[in-house]
Amino acid sequence: MSASDDQSDVERVLAGNIAAFEGIVQRWQSPLINLAYRFCHDRGRAEEMAQEAFLRAYRALSQWRSDAVFSTWLFALATNLYRSELRRIPARTVPFDDIAEPADKHAADGGFEDHDRDRAVRRAVLALPPKYREALILFYFHEMDVASAARSLGLPEGTVKARLSRGRDILRGKLPQLLAMPSLKEA
Amino acid sequence: MKRLTRNEEDEMNRILSRDEEILPSSGFTASVMDAVRREAAVPPPIPFPWKRALPGMTVAGFVLASILIAWIAAISRLIGASASPQPSTSSPSIAPLLSHGNMESLVGWIVFGLLIAFLSTKLSMRFGSGGV
Repeated sequence: MSASDDQSDVERVLAGNIAAFEGIVQRWQSPLINLAYRFCHDRGRAEEMAQEAFLRAYRALSQWRSDAVFSTWLFALATNLYRSELRRIPARTVPFDDIAEPADKHAADGGFEDHDRDRAVRRAVLALPPKYREALILFYFHEMDVASAARSLGLPEGTVKARLSRGRDILRGKLPQLLAMPSLKEA
Repeated sequence: MKRLTRNEEDEMNRILSRDEEILPSSGFTASVMDAVRREAAVPPPIPFPWKRALPGMTVAGFVLASILIAWIAAISRLIGASASPQPSTSSPSIAPLLSHGNMESLVGWIVFGLLIAFLSTKLSMRFGSGGV
């Protein structure tokens, strides 16, 4: 993905060539859909939200200043939309206390597989209060880059760090067995 | 609340970093482009015609201000009249003069109001027909 491709496509769209927007969609559809999916864990809804994000990007294209990185602008716009969408209609989550934990986490027959444990942790993230959930989602989406997560959220890095720490502590408090458990494949 | 140990943090990082990836459905790009084309086909919202509306708004503002001033003046005259001593019956009466003056100003206001109504009707008819 090159910044110059984005720049030239944006210029063409602003000059009236709507078809040039397709290049932007093709380059960024996967990241935007996957970011939406991390917010809602629902494929259909993720695509709907990503489509709305592209539409908003199209409407606001003239507001993008070329001195900023296009992807930063696009992710911030999409994040803002996803956050408000999820606040309007929350994702279907299981309450924290109902998230299942293994009866015997060291079961030799692999009764509680890595996959199940990972899913339980992700469900627990979705059940966090929004501000911690959003910080965690963006942090891991941006491959654990606090600065990128902060730019997407439009928050200072210090705030994001504090929310990450607090969010992880809440998870640790709720899922002590899951997180302390070594990977079954390694065991 | 207990903080995460290094191992627990590593484990959480590992789990959350490898969140499952989904592929866009085959028709996603086409669907977005359809929505974008629909959006582009919609004419932009008509901006408020400030240039045309400004003269009318200025006149309306002037009229409102005049009415307010006249109203305040009338109130203050009324207050002044009630505070001043009653004229003696021996002095020449000014009541007929006052009433005559009031009548003239009333007629003036009515004519002014009709003129404004006429002008605003003409103006809106011209806006409606796109004549301006």
